[in-house]
Amino acid sequence: MKLLAPAFRRSAAAVLALLLAAPAARAFVDDALSFAYEAANPYAERGWIIREDAWGGDLGAGDKKRVAAQLFRGNSYMFFLATDVDNASLRVNIYDAQGNLAESKSWQRGRFAYAEIKPRSTGTYNVIVEVTSSPEERTGWALVYGFQRK
Amino acid sequence: MIPRLLFVLLLGLSPAVAQKPDKSIDLGQFPADTVENVVVPVPSEIFAVLDKLGNPNWRAQLGPEKSYPASPNRAQVALLLGTVIADGFVAVEAEDSERVKEIGRNVLTLAEAINVRKSVVARSNSIIQKADARQWNAVRREFDGALQDVNKAMIELNDEQLAQLVSLGGWLRGTEVLTSIVKEKYSRDRAELLYQPLLVDYFSGQLDRMSPRLRGQPLVGEIRRSLGRIGPLIKKSPPDGITPETVAEINDLSVQMVDLIRAKAGRP
Repeated sequence: MKLLAPAFRRSAAAVLALLLAAPAARAFVDDALSFAYEAANPYAERGWIIREDAWGGDLGAGDKKRVAAQLFRGNSYMFFLATDVDNASLRVNIYDAQGNLAESKSWQRGRFAYAEIKPRSTGTYNVIVEVTSSPEERTGWALVYGFQRK
Repeated sequence: MIPRLLFVLLLGLSPAVAQKPDKSIDLGQFPADTVENVVVPVPSEIFAVLDKLGNPNWRAQLGPEKSYPASPNRAQVALLLGTVIADGFVAVEAEDSERVKEIGRNVLTLAEAINVRKSVVARSNSIIQKADARQWNAVRREFDGALQDVNKAMIELNDEQLAQLVSLGGWLRGTEVLTSIVKEKYSRDRAELLYQPLLVDYFSGQLDRMSPRLRGQPLVGEIRRSLGRIGPLIKKSPPDGITPETVAEINDLSVQMVDLIRAKAGRP
C-alpha cells in the first residue's frame, strides 16, 4: 500500500502525456497504465528503476505494435504490458535489430504480460506488443519498463 | 463459450502462462508510423553500465558550477533545460548533493521561462529534499520524472517540438559525458555504449520535421548540421567500428554543441 500514492501520481502524469499524444486512445490507456505500473512497482523495492516514460494506444485482437528501444549491454531490462479490458490477453516479446528473439524470459497472466532481457550487445531492440485475444473491438494497452543497475 | 471459460479457469490456476514466441519475425511488417514509439533512455541507464566497467571520475564530468539564466529564446531554453537535467544525472553519479540541489533550482528557473514551472515545482522540491537525504536512486527517478513532467506540460501547451528539444539537449549532454569518459580510458566495451543508431535517427528525424520557424533558428540549425555529422560516426557497428579516434570526434562535436547551447544562455 505504501507505493500506491507515488504510483498513482506518476501514473496520472504519464497517462496525461499519453492521452494528449494519442487522442484516439483516450478512452483506453488510463486504466491500462495504472495496471502496468501496478505490475512494475513491486520491482522498484528490489532495486529496479522503473522509468516514468510510458507508451500506449489501442489495438484490435491479433494486431501488433512495435516499440523501438535503445538498450545497453550490461543492464537488465524488464517490460510490463497491461490492459484495462477484462478477459483480454496480451503478449510482449523482445527482438533484436535483425528480428531474432532476444528476451531471456516472458510470460502472460490475465491482463498483464512481461518480458525481460539482458542484452548481449548494445543497440536497437524491438519490443513487440500484441493483443492476442479480446472481447472488445479495440483494446487499450500501456507499456512501462524498468532497468537494473546492479 | 466452454473453451473460453476453461481458458479463464486455467489462467486462474496457473500463476503465469508462457506462450512460445516466434523465434524470429519480419520487422518489415511494422509500418513506418511506429517510428514515434521510441524508448529514449535516461542518462543513468548508460552511466550504470559505465560504473560496472570501472570507476569513472564523475566529478570531472560535472558541468560548470553555475546556474544558467533563461533567455527569451524558448528553443534555446528547451535545449538548455535538457542539458541541465542531464547535468543532474551526472551530479547524482558524483553524489554531490549541493550540486544536485543547485541543478534542481536551475531546472525551476528554466522551466519558468518556457511556462512549465508549475509542472516541475514538486519535482524540484523533491530533488532538493532527496539530495539532502542522499537518496540517490530516488533523485534519479525525480530527474526522470522532471523530464516527463516538462514533456507533458509542453504537449498541453501545444509545444511538442520544444519538448523534443529538451530530450535532444539531454541526449547531447549525455553523449558529451559518455564520450569524455570513454576517451579518457578507451575500451571496446565502453565504446560500444555509443552505438545508438536508433536515437540519432530519431532526433534527426524530429529536427527535420520541425516547423520552419524553429529549424530556421541559428542554434537549432547548427545542432541539426552537427547531428548530421555525428550520425555516421555513431552508426559504425561495434565492436570494431567505434575506434578511439571516432570517440574523440564524437566528443568534439558534442562538446561544441553543448557549449553553443550554454553560450546562448541569457541571450535573445
